[in-house]
Amino acid sequence: MDDVELRLQLERVHADCFGWAMACCGRDRDDAEEVLQTVYLSVLDGRARFDARSSFRTWLFGVIRRTAASERRKAWLRGLLVEREAEGGTRDARSFATDAFVAPDAEVEHESRRDGLHHALTRLSPRQREVLQLVFYHDLTVEEAAAVMRVSVGSARTHYARGKANLAVMLGDAKDL
Amino acid sequence: MMDDSEIRQRFAQLRESDRESAPGFAQTYARARSRQRWPAAHRPRLLVISAAAAVVIAGVWLVNARSSSRSTHTPAIATIAAWRAPTDVLLRTPGSELLGAMPALGASVLDQMISTPSNRGI
Repeated sequence: MDDVELRLQLERVHADCFGWAMACCGRDRDDAEEVLQTVYLSVLDGRARFDARSSFRTWLFGVIRRTAASERRKAWLRGLLVEREAEGGTRDARSFATDAFVAPDAEVEHESRRDGLHHALTRLSPRQREVLQLVFYHDLTVEEAAAVMRVSVGSARTHYARGKANLAVMLGDAKDL
Repeated sequence: MMDDSEIRQRFAQLRESDRESAPGFAQTYARARSRQRWPAAHRPRLLVISAAAAVVIAGVWLVNARSSSRSTHTPAIATIAAWRAPTDVLLRTPGSELLGAMPALGASVLDQMISTPSNRGI
């Protein structure tokens, strides 16, 4: 695959990849952008090479997942070195920025529904969260999701069934309140 | 409890909101390109250059190491060669000149015993 074709393929799945990167980075936009850039860089450098054993999107999702995990490990190591006070200061600044934003009324309900889903997803196990995101958000089959997650199809099916049941209960409970 | 369609709808809303806030592809791609230090096309040339540089550095280091080892050994050898035992003088016996020098044809060995300015080293 030459550079032009690679660029076209990446452009085609870019929005989808950003959504998956968001899911892999705990919905942190900055981290997701960083991960996506690192992934594109790996692809351009030839460190990540598409071998056509799956679809391009499935393969790229796998690369994003591994890159996000690697970035998380690096961040964890950095966190050990950085002072806690400095980290607290950054968090305060972030929460301040979020508080300062006032959403219009129409968006409030939409946001609360979205946040409800996000909150429910964070309460699931990582594997359950991943398989649900891949199936419901990205419209992948369970088999494709298994390839991205590097688990057996049987295992992915189990995570899918349990995750869906847990999510349905949590969202149903939140709706009833 | 929710059914699949409701869950799917929730995820669709999340997807829509992500798509609206997603950074443009051109921007992300350009940033990735700017982080790329050496384009793939230049990499073989870089490998050759760095290998050649490594060989040159290793060569210079070897030459330096050899010359420094020589320069440190030479004075030691010279010192050992020039060294004389303090008791050498005891080995000198009367008439040792006759034993150490080659007699000339037709000359008498007694000539060497006669002290002349030349054989006294003056």
